[in-house]
Amino acid sequence: MSKSTDLLAALRGCLLAVMTIWSGYAIAIIDVTENIELEGYVKAQNVIREQSLGSSELIMQRNTVQLEGKYYFLKDGKAFGRFNAGRLEEATLTIIGRSVYDSVFDHRDSFKDLDDFNGSNIREVFVDLVIPPFSFRVGRQQVVWGETDNFRALDILNPIDLSWHWSQEPWEDIRIPLWMVRGIYDIGKIGPFEETFIESVWIPADFEPNIVSTDPRYPWSFYGAGLPEVANATVIDGTLYDLNVAINDRGPGKSMSEGQAGVRFKGIWRDIEFSLNYFNGYSTTTGVKFRPELTRIEGDDLYTSVDLVNPRIEVFGVTANYSEDRFTQSVLRLEASVTKGIPVSYKPDTPLSVDPEQDLFDTTDQMVIMFGMDRPTWIRALNRSRTFFFSGQLFWRRYLDYSRHYQGLSAVAPAMVGGQVIPGRFVSEVASTPNQDEFVFTLGISTTYGRAGKIKPGFVFAYDPRSTGALNKLTLEYLWSKHFVVKASQSFYWRKDDDEFGPWAIGDLYGRKDRRRNETTIEMIFQF
Amino acid sequence: MRVAYMSGKYLKAISRALLLTGVVFSSGASADSDLSYQTLRDWISSSANGADHLTPGQHLSYADREIIESLVPQAAWKYYIFEDMDMEVAATGTYPPPSDWGQKKRDDYYLDDQAVLINFAGGGFPFPEIGGDDPIAAQKVIWNMLWRPGQQDFNMPMVAWLRSEHGKLDRVFEFASVSATYAQGKDPLVPGYEEVKSKSIMEFRSPRDMAGTKSMTIEYIDHYKEDSGWMYLPSQRKPRRTLSSERTAESAMGMDNIKEDGLGFSGKIYENNWTYLGKRPVLATINVRDNAEWGGPHLWVPHKARWEVRDSHVILIEPKADNHPYSYRIVFIDAETYWTHWMFGFDRSDDQVLRMSQHVLKYSESYKTESAQQAPFVKQDFSQNLSHNVFLHLGETDINTKKPHATQINCYVQKRAFSPARAKQFFSLRNMTSGRR
Repeated sequence: MSKSTDLLAALRGCLLAVMTIWSGYAIAIIDVTENIELEGYVKAQNVIREQSLGSSELIMQRNTVQLEGKYYFLKDGKAFGRFNAGRLEEATLTIIGRSVYDSVFDHRDSFKDLDDFNGSNIREVFVDLVIPPFSFRVGRQQVVWGETDNFRALDILNPIDLSWHWSQEPWEDIRIPLWMVRGIYDIGKIGPFEETFIESVWIPADFEPNIVSTDPRYPWSFYGAGLPEVANATVIDGTLYDLNVAINDRGPGKSMSEGQAGVRFKGIWRDIEFSLNYFNGYSTTTGVKFRPELTRIEGDDLYTSVDLVNPRIEVFGVTANYSEDRFTQSVLRLEASVTKGIPVSYKPDTPLSVDPEQDLFDTTDQMVIMFGMDRPTWIRALNRSRTFFFSGQLFWRRYLDYSRHYQGLSAVAPAMVGGQVIPGRFVSEVASTPNQDEFVFTLGISTTYGRAGKIKPGFVFAYDPRSTGALNKLTLEYLWSKHFVVKASQSFYWRKDDDEFGPWAIGDLYGRKDRRRNETTIEMIFQF
Repeated sequence: MRVAYMSGKYLKAISRALLLTGVVFSSGASADSDLSYQTLRDWISSSANGADHLTPGQHLSYADREIIESLVPQAAWKYYIFEDMDMEVAATGTYPPPSDWGQKKRDDYYLDDQAVLINFAGGGFPFPEIGGDDPIAAQKVIWNMLWRPGQQDFNMPMVAWLRSEHGKLDRVFEFASVSATYAQGKDPLVPGYEEVKSKSIMEFRSPRDMAGTKSMTIEYIDHYKEDSGWMYLPSQRKPRRTLSSERTAESAMGMDNIKEDGLGFSGKIYENNWTYLGKRPVLATINVRDNAEWGGPHLWVPHKARWEVRDSHVILIEPKADNHPYSYRIVFIDAETYWTHWMFGFDRSDDQVLRMSQHVLKYSESYKTESAQQAPFVKQDFSQNLSHNVFLHLGETDINTKKPHATQINCYVQKRAFSPARAKQFFSLRNMTSGRR
């Protein structure tokens, strides 16, 4: 039996077990015992990519089972219903497991040589403890800071997995949970501040970088601005060499000496909710450090070596929000952060004065400011009973120590010697230089229709004014019953002008002619 | 509980004769479908002597519709009077408030020129006596309603059924609310939190796409200040500040009321014009035996419930804003307890009923002899409801007549007294930073 067939059988088994347990219950969460609850979902997700007009292909047929269990082993100061727990008032154990089987890796010939994304794992397992005024969550978990939606400014504690569907999935599902301790000391009212608390997060020995697929054969691989190929050659002084790159992972390991920690203070001052944040950890974005001393030419081959590094970063951040009821009737959101130590690459011709090690690597400081606005808005011509929820965000990201030698997106291009294209040989080129100031605007609109609000249309728009790249996404969700949900979405990537590529990976990158990643998604979910 | 019985046989006979000769407000099948504002106003002005035909323990059926029509607001007939209906009538009771009610009030409160209550911090009704000829009687009744005893301080698991016509079940929600009254008179529940009226946290349990979604609301004693609100979404793993000043939209979840319909009226006094329409006896589910069994042709209304005739203040509320969905709102508020029995909101476009709601209540001391249902997903100790001398809100129905669609909610209330320390810890932003997942 193949690995996939094993998984399929396991999934069927899980599904059968869930259905058997569920059949005796009318409403959602299953109470296994008085203190144990079980919930979850089974999801079938099909994604069709429309790369160009008239060309479409199935790129995902992902089946997911997620089971979420909660055990209330200490309630009202009594453990297991009998032992007095003193100051410990409540304790629960939460386990979230997920199994995935993407059948497209079995069906499509072009995917058959690839490692699939299938597998089962305990994504999150944590214990919540309440010992007033302290509360703790200990275990493998996700912690989200900040005011932004789907943007990495202060939401950087957990890395994200962009390998299987880029950032298109709910981030709850693509964040990589880490083993950590989260503790909160509740202060309450102090001086002019209300609702204050101090939260600290300690990740003693668990680092993971963001996961990005760079193999162009994967449907959601990131291969830069050029061809969906791997650079296998280089041209030096008109001579073509085979490129042999040794890649060394020099990222932090999982030892206590490589721990990460953060702290934030949150409160309300004159109706303005704010937080002050600090995090000392490692960049989840991986940098590439060229090793010139290990580079040599032997015959037709060029041998070189690069180190993959995740430098230590420091993040300082401020967030604020304010419910402005009088003039705009909206919630205003602000997030600002300064991150020191973000890895960047230099272009190959960077002078010694800028890159004395000639490793084409450096770290930089970046500032991000996000201004957002949430507003329930009446458009009575379109919906007489319910408002539309508008949520807009404007991001400004600035390199604080910018260099014009920074390298932006790279691109793979056909190798050329003497003006002739060499078949099957590809080289890497610098496709763009990042701008010191980068901007992106996002807008989400949603409402519900139907007598019981079971029809949920949504609209998402993201736009980079510099690269003129954009993403439009239309979604439609129908709640067939309390257990069965159908979702459909259509994404369009496009750009207005052929300007330089931006950093946001939207229409400028994924809306290129014949390489479009427009896609239609249909999901069927059974939830319990 | 002191019981006042209805009048004698002689009076009954005269009243029945009047009813049958059509002296009172005319009834009939055509009036069932008349949901206009003017018709309800006419009904309010009409005689209510159907009460004289009732005896405790009597069960009203469809055959008694003339009596029922004189005591159930006309705009509700279409839904509340049906073939196999069964309304048990109980004696009109008297329900004393908590023993110290009114003793802890501050004495420096007043109404400003917009009839907004200033400096009031609970502990009693702000206006224990309201004269019918008082030019701001309507607002005073509403202030008493907003500060009535028993409004908070409970664990309240709930189930909501969203139904189309003929009882077709569209959605079911399970959720729970926990709340505490901070403003308790001269001394607040938590020292230092004098500006807070109440705090509450509500969390959804099902369906799964809503499970773990929770909201926290802080209500302030300053009526000019909007509530503070946060919503924790498990999919976002963080709380999000919410806007409180939008009160006129149905929720995205499809429930059939609007925020302002809560309690009969949960808006701002100064955003409306007010008229006191006097008192009117109405049938009310004020001290039911149990949570409602939902009946009627669409399963939208309490069936086989226990009703009482209750003298109620009738308040006419006219929103000042031109874009408010209602042209008028009429609320029937119990004249003794200040709990809302009936609410009717009229569509601004045609002055026909757009939404109506009716509330199901149970007096805490009645748990001595009869307990209400347990929630389907948690067992509670209802003996803790005794000795509070307050009403518990056991549910409501909210009908949108134009969709048409309705939401029925059963609440399984257990009173809960928070210590200052526990309240401070529980109703905090800290508690909103994480959730079920």
